[in-house]
Amino acid sequence: MTGPAPAGGGGAGGGRLPGIHLFVPMLHRRDAVGEHTRVLRGLLVAAGVPSTIYTELPDPDTVDETRPFRDYEHDAVAGDVLVYQVATRSDMTRWLAKRPEPVVLNYHSLTPAVFFAPWNNGIARMQEAAARDLADLAPRCALGIGVSDFDVAELRAAGCPSTRVVPVVNVPLPPVEPDPAALAALARRTAAGGPWWLSVGRLAPNKAHQETIAALFVARATTAPDAHLTIVGGPTEPHYAAALRRYAADLGLSGAVEFTTRLSPGELAARYATADVLVMLSEHEGFGVPLVEAMSQGLPVVAYDAGAVAEIVGDAGVLLDRKGPRAVAAAVAALLDDPDRRHALVAAGRARLGALGLEHAGSDLVRALREVAAGA
Amino acid sequence: MTEADGTTGSDAPTTTGDAGGLPADEVELLEAFERLAPAGSFRWGFDDAMRRLSSPDERGTWVEPWDGLPADLWDRGRGAKASERMLGDVIAVLAQELTEYSQRIVDDVRRTVPTDTAVFDALRYLAARVERLEAAADPLGIRPADLALPAPDASAWVEALPAWLGAVDGRPVVVGELGDRSVLEAVVGTGADVDAVDPRAALSWTVRDAAPGRPGQVRATVGDVVEHLAGLPAGSRSAVVLSGCVDRSSLDGKATLVTAAARALESGGALVLLVTDQAAWDADLEPPVRDLLPGRPFHADTWAVVLAHLGLEDPEVHLAERGSVHAVVARRPR
Repeated sequence: MTGPAPAGGGGAGGGRLPGIHLFVPMLHRRDAVGEHTRVLRGLLVAAGVPSTIYTELPDPDTVDETRPFRDYEHDAVAGDVLVYQVATRSDMTRWLAKRPEPVVLNYHSLTPAVFFAPWNNGIARMQEAAARDLADLAPRCALGIGVSDFDVAELRAAGCPSTRVVPVVNVPLPPVEPDPAALAALARRTAAGGPWWLSVGRLAPNKAHQETIAALFVARATTAPDAHLTIVGGPTEPHYAAALRRYAADLGLSGAVEFTTRLSPGELAARYATADVLVMLSEHEGFGVPLVEAMSQGLPVVAYDAGAVAEIVGDAGVLLDRKGPRAVAAAVAALLDDPDRRHALVAAGRARLGALGLEHAGSDLVRALREVAAGA
Repeated sequence: MTEADGTTGSDAPTTTGDAGGLPADEVELLEAFERLAPAGSFRWGFDDAMRRLSSPDERGTWVEPWDGLPADLWDRGRGAKASERMLGDVIAVLAQELTEYSQRIVDDVRRTVPTDTAVFDALRYLAARVERLEAAADPLGIRPADLALPAPDASAWVEALPAWLGAVDGRPVVVGELGDRSVLEAVVGTGADVDAVDPRAALSWTVRDAAPGRPGQVRATVGDVVEHLAGLPAGSRSAVVLSGCVDRSSLDGKATLVTAAARALESGGALVLLVTDQAAWDADLEPPVRDLLPGRPFHADTWAVVLAHLGLEDPEVHLAERGSVHAVVARRPR
């Protein structure tokens, strides 16, 4: 058995209190699922519930926070509840399906394989396998928790008998203050020309960042010759990420499109604070954390109406039902040319945050899990 | 608020392109990105093309490229060594190229020749050749990493190990495969700077538990030991300790492994092999595991002969007094 002592003290299951333990394929920092898992564990521990994070593979950055999932077989205590963070394929799925403890699926949306097929068969196969594994596990789960109605619909389609919506718990409220140094540097840059578009999301094909680049190309050729775009996100698929850079270069946008990643929360907040608009043309979103971040930072949103985007944004952003480059460029230009509308959307965005219930998401999630534990 | 496609600007062309109704120039703009995709999603493209070629009913139309993925391919690929993955990728690109050229040929033939059986036969022949090539690279799809292979218990030697290594405090030492962690802990105890190499992804947990509170002393590398050793500068390591991989490698693999280890040693540096007793190997491993591994342990005396043949000095054989792991120690000449 390796790793830190299991939560609850004691050893080999003897004398420990039942807990609510979290299972995630890998625990990454600066990753939506990873941060959600870490925050959830903190909430559980703060509520007096023993909780350990078990993973299939270790991430060197978080290895001190995790234990191999098979160690749980030694740690198990009667009355435990196991919460599986569903986001990708994992050997844990079949293992969890055979465990006697109640299993809760905390669903973060599986990106359909078809998005990855032209770029990376390995990831596409993995996503297909993940969907099959979910279909095997869902019918026997005690509860399926989605972060949006869109996600819950997918859980129900997979066979989850009982479902509930609880938003993500890792959106910082109140919002993170922008890093002063980053803010100053970015302010100097934006003062030199603009507008600055911002797009936040992993460099994965379902995010459709290329369509934002194409729209920027049209904008610079028509209404906004000084428009720039910052894309914040790590490369999920290397070929796709490389193609984005090549595409920008081929369109003569190397100096107009900035790719950046691994920002601190304060540096990311500075990006939101100095941008003029968040453009999000993703094809598949289970929640859309950048939408919430933009609304909380007072940045208006232009987004394609896909997945849970409309559910999250409501009337607090410009939603596009089609997203040709010319349409996107026109929507952005119309928004930026209308200060009253822009201010109205920013105000609506701040109001929308309250309607999403993010402030209560943590306590709602802990309560939902404790209800499962009480019935175990 | 939801907005419809705002293609109402004065610069919007009137012609439309694809079924989505985008103007032709916008379609062209977006397709420019799609052309940057790699040589296609190789396996389904190939498999799909071959399926259509072998099914007369489907020859008349090209089906949609996405038709699902073979269920087992991900599992087969997970444990592949880097070299095998690279070979697989090369084969896959070849297969994709073949498919693409085949499509063009068949398209051309369809336009000009009503009966194209010979073309399809030729393509099927090519497909069979490629499949044989794929099978040669991965005959069963079973990897050593997928087998239930117990880690050798080398704990009997942890007290002797520091003396064999000599003065390595602050010096670089490679530990190839970590087994039950006892060897790694013993090497860490000498104060050496440790390269810990193991193909198991759980390496990070093992390293964390072996060197608590001493971050930076152990550098973990998830990967193949022989590849790691081969990538080190010659004469750059004060000692190399190997277990696990020395047992299950093929004859070629064993030779490559210890040759790479000897090359990495500095003058006077020690090579320590912790090798499983053959009788224990036969008794402890399940028959399928024994049969499917590429090799089985050498006798300790055989290792002594091999190390001497490689030019290492004074190989010593230490037979196990407890446990089932012997030790063989030799040094690079000064």
